[in-house]
Amino acid sequence: MIRFKKILYTRSFRIFITGLWRDNPIFCMVLGICSSLAVTNRIENAITMGIGVTFVLIATEIIISSLRNYIPVRVRMITYMTVISTFVIVVDRILKAYLPKISEALGPYVGLIITNCILMGRAEAFSINHTLKESIIDAISCGLGYTYILLLMSVIRELLGFGTLFGYKVMGANYENCIAMTIAPGAFFLLSIYLWIFRTILKRTEN
Amino acid sequence: MKNIKIIVFVLIMGLISGGFLVIVNNWTKEKIRKNMEFKIKSAILDSFSIEYLKDNIENVFSKNVEEVKMDTLSYYKTKNGEIGFIFSGSGLWGPINGVISLESDKKTIRRIVIIHQEETPGLGGRITEEEFLNKFKGKIILPEIRMVPPGKAEKENEVDSITGATGTSKAFEKILNQTINKYMKILGG
Repeated sequence: MIRFKKILYTRSFRIFITGLWRDNPIFCMVLGICSSLAVTNRIENAITMGIGVTFVLIATEIIISSLRNYIPVRVRMITYMTVISTFVIVVDRILKAYLPKISEALGPYVGLIITNCILMGRAEAFSINHTLKESIIDAISCGLGYTYILLLMSVIRELLGFGTLFGYKVMGANYENCIAMTIAPGAFFLLSIYLWIFRTILKRTEN
Repeated sequence: MKNIKIIVFVLIMGLISGGFLVIVNNWTKEKIRKNMEFKIKSAILDSFSIEYLKDNIENVFSKNVEEVKMDTLSYYKTKNGEIGFIFSGSGLWGPINGVISLESDKKTIRRIVIIHQEETPGLGGRITEEEFLNKFKGKIILPEIRMVPPGKAEKENEVDSITGATGTSKAFEKILNQTINKYMKILGG
């Protein structure tokens, strides 16, 4: 128990919790909104996107953090872009070659990881001036923070929009699918409701 | 001096990431090509409802299906005289392609199989679902296929489109008709 309490107060643990909650990429930093609107209409899409982003985020933060003393300040943005796109292309090729089924299900989403602002944001705000270990923890926590919000959104959207969960029918036969939830505008409303709820809780707990 | 350092850094970074990508590309190229070939062959066999396994697809394909080349086009033919060809064109968001097969009378649709599409998931993306593709079964491709609002299909060349995906349905109709027209000329239909 005492050991557990000690872990709670370490720097690494605080970094981990910050990414999941106080500085959550979606509802606090409001990064990665485009993908959270685009891919959350089915739970399986949300999960695969979450895994993809988390993987590329970890790889990018490892590279940037280990090179942080060598990257010239003026070209750091180009460096982030190069590293991120290299990893995304690698992920895309490997999926295509070894897991063609999954690659097909993801379709254009793999390429879309490049445009996810969380990657650029975390490279610039965190890994450029933190140690390798802290960067890895930050990457995992931001990746998970992003993934669970996607999951929360996709559960509601799939349920209301298609009447299914993981592709299985759960709503009754009389249920009229809510088409608005399957397209991006519906996601906008849902996201703002989530932002509202989470920020209210955040404010309450901080005071 | 500082500028030189930057240029050297960018050059080295470009070389390393470029080289890395070349290696990954060479390493995966052959596998990706094989996957593509498998996808096309399996779609053609699917459209003729011929069964196969992953290991014997080459044999099954060469035994049952004959590729006929005419002018610049090529189509596939089974022993029963059924005909299949590949269609492709742009959908609402990206390319759509697949295989359409006709009965031996060369005007009744047997089956449609989608190989690739990038439509909106859950809306236009539903063109890959059997429920939608089955609606084409038994329809007549002459004079042209028409996609009509859901539930309105009456004539034998009319097919219900997908609810909430008018753009994709219209694009799909255009792709099918263009391909069919092209092939009807060489098939003499």
